[in-house]
Amino acid sequence: MFDSLKDKLGSFRSDVEETTEEKAADAEAEAESEAPASAESEPKEAEPDDDSTDASSSNSFAKKAKSFAKGEIVIEEQDLEDPLWELEMALLESDVELSVANEILERIREDLSGATRSFSDETADVVEQALADSLLSVISVGQFDFDSRVREADKPVTIIFTGVNGVGKTTTIAKLSQYFEEQGLSTVLANGDTYRAGANEQIREHADNLDTKLIAHEQGGDPAAVIYDAVEYAESHDIDVVLGDTAGRLHTDEGLMDQLEKIGRVVGPDMVLFVDEAVAGQDAVQRAKQFNDAAEIDGAVLTKADADSQGGAAISIAHVTGKPILFLGTGQGYDDIERFDPEELVERLLGTDDE
Amino acid sequence: MVLDDLGSSLRGSLGKLSGQSRVTEADIEEIVKEIQRSLLQADVEVSLVMELSDSIKERALDEEPPGGTSARDHVLSIVYEEMVALVGESTDLPLEDQTILLAGLQGSGKTTTSAKMAWWFAKKGLRPAVIQTDTFRPGAYDQAKEMTERAEVDFYGDPDAEDPVEIAREGLEATSDADVHIVDTAGRHALEDDLIAEIEEIEEVVNPDRNLLVLDAAIGQGAKDQARQFEESIGIEGVVITKLDGTAKGGGALTAVNETDSSIAFLGTGETVRDIERFEPSGFISRLLGMGDLKQLTERVERAMEETQEEDEDWDPEDMLKGEFTLKDMRRQMTAMNNMGPLDQVMDMIPGLGGGLMDELPDDAMDVTQDRMRRFEVIMDSMTEAELEHPRAIGASQVERIARGSGTDEETVRELLEQHKMMSQTLKQFQGMGQGNMERMMKKMQGGGGGGGGMGGMGPFG
Repeated sequence: MFDSLKDKLGSFRSDVEETTEEKAADAEAEAESEAPASAESEPKEAEPDDDSTDASSSNSFAKKAKSFAKGEIVIEEQDLEDPLWELEMALLESDVELSVANEILERIREDLSGATRSFSDETADVVEQALADSLLSVISVGQFDFDSRVREADKPVTIIFTGVNGVGKTTTIAKLSQYFEEQGLSTVLANGDTYRAGANEQIREHADNLDTKLIAHEQGGDPAAVIYDAVEYAESHDIDVVLGDTAGRLHTDEGLMDQLEKIGRVVGPDMVLFVDEAVAGQDAVQRAKQFNDAAEIDGAVLTKADADSQGGAAISIAHVTGKPILFLGTGQGYDDIERFDPEELVERLLGTDDE
Repeated sequence: MVLDDLGSSLRGSLGKLSGQSRVTEADIEEIVKEIQRSLLQADVEVSLVMELSDSIKERALDEEPPGGTSARDHVLSIVYEEMVALVGESTDLPLEDQTILLAGLQGSGKTTTSAKMAWWFAKKGLRPAVIQTDTFRPGAYDQAKEMTERAEVDFYGDPDAEDPVEIAREGLEATSDADVHIVDTAGRHALEDDLIAEIEEIEEVVNPDRNLLVLDAAIGQGAKDQARQFEESIGIEGVVITKLDGTAKGGGALTAVNETDSSIAFLGTGETVRDIERFEPSGFISRLLGMGDLKQLTERVERAMEETQEEDEDWDPEDMLKGEFTLKDMRRQMTAMNNMGPLDQVMDMIPGLGGGLMDELPDDAMDVTQDRMRRFEVIMDSMTEAELEHPRAIGASQVERIARGSGTDEETVRELLEQHKMMSQTLKQFQGMGQGNMERMMKKMQGGGGGGGGMGGMGPFG
């Protein structure tokens, strides 16, 4: 994931660096010739409307001069236009949703334009900081310690999984069942997908493989009732975690979205996790928003992360829901699930060491 | 639907051009930006978007608009041509014996699509069979079995077998009576080398006539790499876009079509086996650009006319263009309109009325019009035969009687008469114009019927 974005972020950094290095060179040359004059004229006294007498004593020159006096150069907005356009394209190429991408860019623009850097600093550092801040503030929303929250909660802990068709909810449940068992937490699976053909068979096979109890009803039954039964089963058998599957549904299907709301209401889960795929494009924002509206989510799981080098969906989903990405699905085996750590990701994205 | 928003945003920026005979570079810049934004939001791949918008820009600036063409129409036709060139025709699917192999990512909807396609071929009078070779995903066999039962088509699968290649071979033999063989495969992605090798083996055994790539409408920029990998390993002849009933625009499919140099075969638009449509490029793009879907409209009109004529045998719509337009004609027209389906859908297909104009109408405008039509019918029921034939002779006292008789008021009756007058005038303009010249008719309508609202502008379609 994020491989291409990583490359592009690197080139954004060097683009800005290049333009500012040129300026630094210019500034130095300019400063040398006018050094005595500009050093004396205190920038704060420069009159903005006084360009008739001396064009070179305009505000921007004053600022430049002041910066030069302090051994700094100023990054101006027009220096950023081209690199920012490149960066916007890079974000879009990485499947970051358009409005989210624009917000990230806005933040960088604000951070960087007018920013000064001293001659001793590397421009790259200033840019890198702005990039890191901007990315982090978008994806490190609503962080909480998932493991300890599950461990410390009153048992059983009921977790419900929502999402559109085919994103991998059932597979994720199977993986998380193993994840919890490895931590010494027992699980029961509940098949709330009473709709799709083959759903019962699919989750039953996972339950058999994992040696976990499955609560399922006939196809066409009430999903809330299935999950409710599983919670009762967990209570009477001292099971720690109930993993409740739901039928995949498109967020445009009002009937099914109402049903989801009902499941949330009737079951009263301790956690709702939204599952989407890393290959999802711009639409990820729409569905995350609407699933969050129907049954408020606590976090998201991104599946098929091994299929894709983009991964911008992670950024978009975290941004619009304000909820963290908790796990990444990275393959077809039960072990193929990873915790998602935003800081690690940003470090990896901006890291220059490994390519 | 794919690229829905491009239509409305383009109409917005193109609207600014109307009346202008020349376009400035700034105009083009703005339109191109609009196109880029819409395409990017529709998940079309970034470099493809840039290519497309560059060539639109270049052509719009270089090419002189043909004489008499407004700047707006010129730009519109360039956008149209470029889009058509990109999307191409829908994948050629002859109705004959054939084998089709489905490939795609996990969860893209291959199994559902295979049952839907089988249903589609069955409706076309062929005997299809679905062969399920997904031995990996638990429940895949059961899902395919149940979906094909719903589609009432032949099915082969073996829940106990482990080798998909073997299942494919045996499946083809077991279903040799069928005309069309649809081979479903397990989901896989471009980076799973062993699975890519596996589908190559299946391809070799099955020897399909065409391979279709099944893509989720929501897929992002990754569509390019996935499509390229499948193209390299088995070759892709067509793309199926699924889950188009959501809000995803399906631009990834355009990327895939471009990457594999293929075309779009089917659209998946729901969860039942019937929710499948053949891709229709011309209608799709016309509607996309707010140019109306002439072909579909013509079909609907014809169908509606047939239905209306079944009820009323001695009426020939052609008569309307020759003689006097009576209230009876108007009533038949309204019935025909009703038979065509919901008014707003029909309106959307009429060039010039669709898109832009529809966006400007308040949401309830169509309901009002439909109500009005119902009220008009009631009023006509209270008229005598002579009044229906010669509405112009209806005087004040008759209006009063008709209003009382129909339980409406005089104002509504007069409205009806006014409407009839307007329609018959509009119609007069077309008399002698001959048939088929839709475009000229449209132009007249836009000029004359624009403010008429309601049915005034729709007359000629009856």
